[in-house]
Amino acid sequence: MDKQLQDKLLELFTGKLSRQVQLYLDTCSRCGVCSDTCHVYASMPIPKYTPAYRAEVVRRIFKKYFKAQGKLLPVLGEAKILDETALDELKEAAYSCTGCRRCMVYCPFGIDTQQIMSIAKLLLIGANSEPEILTMLADMSISKGESIEESKERFIEGLKRLETDVIDKWKIKAGKTPIPTDAQNADILYVALAGAHSIVPAAAIFNAAGENWSLSFFEAVNFGAFVGDPAKTKLISDRIVNEAKRLKVKEVSICECGTAFRVMKHLSGPQPFKVSSLTEVHARYLREGRIKLDQSKFDLPVTYHDPCQMARNAGVIDDPRFILQHLTDDFREMAPDPKYNWCCGGGGGLVALGEETLDFRMKSARVKADQVKKTGAKILATACENCHTQLSDLNDHYKMNVEVKFLSSMVADALVH
Amino acid sequence: MDTIYTLILVPMVYLAFFVFFAGIIWRITALIRKPKLPTTLKIYPEKKPAILWALTDTFFLPGVRRNNPVLWFFLMVFHLCLLLLFIGHLELVWDLPMFQMIPHEIFLGNGFLGIILSVSLLFFLFRRFISPTKDLSVPEDYFVLILLFLTVIFGSEMDWARRWYAYEEMGPAEYRAYLQTLLAFKPDIGDVNISGHSFMLVLHVFFGNLFLMVFPFSNLMHSIFAIPLNKLRRG
Repeated sequence: MDKQLQDKLLELFTGKLSRQVQLYLDTCSRCGVCSDTCHVYASMPIPKYTPAYRAEVVRRIFKKYFKAQGKLLPVLGEAKILDETALDELKEAAYSCTGCRRCMVYCPFGIDTQQIMSIAKLLLIGANSEPEILTMLADMSISKGESIEESKERFIEGLKRLETDVIDKWKIKAGKTPIPTDAQNADILYVALAGAHSIVPAAAIFNAAGENWSLSFFEAVNFGAFVGDPAKTKLISDRIVNEAKRLKVKEVSICECGTAFRVMKHLSGPQPFKVSSLTEVHARYLREGRIKLDQSKFDLPVTYHDPCQMARNAGVIDDPRFILQHLTDDFREMAPDPKYNWCCGGGGGLVALGEETLDFRMKSARVKADQVKKTGAKILATACENCHTQLSDLNDHYKMNVEVKFLSSMVADALVH
Repeated sequence: MDTIYTLILVPMVYLAFFVFFAGIIWRITALIRKPKLPTTLKIYPEKKPAILWALTDTFFLPGVRRNNPVLWFFLMVFHLCLLLLFIGHLELVWDLPMFQMIPHEIFLGNGFLGIILSVSLLFFLFRRFISPTKDLSVPEDYFVLILLFLTVIFGSEMDWARRWYAYEEMGPAEYRAYLQTLLAFKPDIGDVNISGHSFMLVLHVFFGNLFLMVFPFSNLMHSIFAIPLNKLRRG
């Protein structure tokens, strides 16, 4: 690696050294408690898949360039030069971690491996060694934000084709738009994903609750966060923030996408509007009596997979359970406490990388498959697109014999007048 | 030999304490000067008040207990004994009535604290020879454990020699005299340099000095960073 690139990467590293991150890098005692708390190591016991090992890949570079100990006595902490081999190790570490933060729950110091892996991801971007497809997807989202006026018409035409499906699920008064867009002063701006499954059920439920809502022109998914590029992450979420400000909405509701929700709710700083997940909105409608559900609609045992970025990392824990109480008599918990729930194995951009990561995703999530099977449930509900895709893949691979469903689509199917 | 004894028992002690405090202050200042991340990094569900839960996490290690009860037992026992030994050392210098609420002989622990600490340290050391901890460990981790073990073993030997083998000529009174001259910056090692087991004291102090000097530049700083880190997790 030439000196120029190394300097550039070290500058990026320096930029990541906030007080919190420095504390995380300064502290690990390598006790190894985190090892089998990671689904990857628990499924494939290879030392490089322990959270502390992954963090140590970054920490060794940190010691070399930022610590007196690493400069004077590098052998003590095995401080390591930032070179091509280091980049390979960083890639392996960063893209075998889903950022689920389960290890953080067990760590005696609460070290956030996801934060440390975000350094690895940024260095990979700096060296043009990140998975290209993620950067491409992030760039596409950003350019769509820049040229929204050109694609608006096509988008609205697309929505027209979904209107019948929405009305099939919930009839609305004549003259009302089933999927409103660009509605000034709406109470809720709903940010969906590209795909009818993310728009149709949600629209039907908003209409059933008599909500004054508007659909965002943008997709919620934040590929900038997956690839670990803070600038792109911000540009992507800013598209939505600006739309919400322009329409003067009171609340932005993020669809079933864990990362998008956490970025908007917890990682983008304070907003002039309320941020909620679609699940929270549905629970609120139920509490307020704005929608009613048919509890006999699903007569099979149901379990719920807590998406890490929604539950452990963003606090949406009770609401999905409240909703499920209205959907079934036979709900089965997966973990004794949701904060200990296993990750599905699809986060951190792994699902977005598709076939390329399929083999790893299946092998590394054996513990998840075992956990699901143990519940004996036949319906596996979840509230995150990534988790849904990964769990469906696991269902095929491990013959889990369940039907993987989005919580929102279950709510929409069980709506009663 | 006398010169070496003197060097270890006087200037090296001053140096060690200087490095220890200056190093810690330097580390903390370096940290505080870094910009604070404006976002929350907490884990849910939330429990209030966060600071109390963070203290519980720091002092009772619930995550470790859940994951590895044997390690948890040794960690709890080890850190508790370390705390008692710290109090024991304070009592060597001053009379501290508040610690005498439960009346005890100085030095605290009847010699057993040293045994428990040594066994715990050997446990921590040997578990680093087994994968995956073996693959995670770096030389620093072994070095710190061995250093602490040597400090503890020679310190304990002094206590054991006096208590169990009746080497009475050097005890807490002599240690106190020596330590108080150090504190008054009028060092006098006359009282602790005469006994047949003075070499134990010298080795204890030597390894103790090294330990203090290594402390600010090693992962031993976890003892100071544990509370702010746990507070981050609790929000």
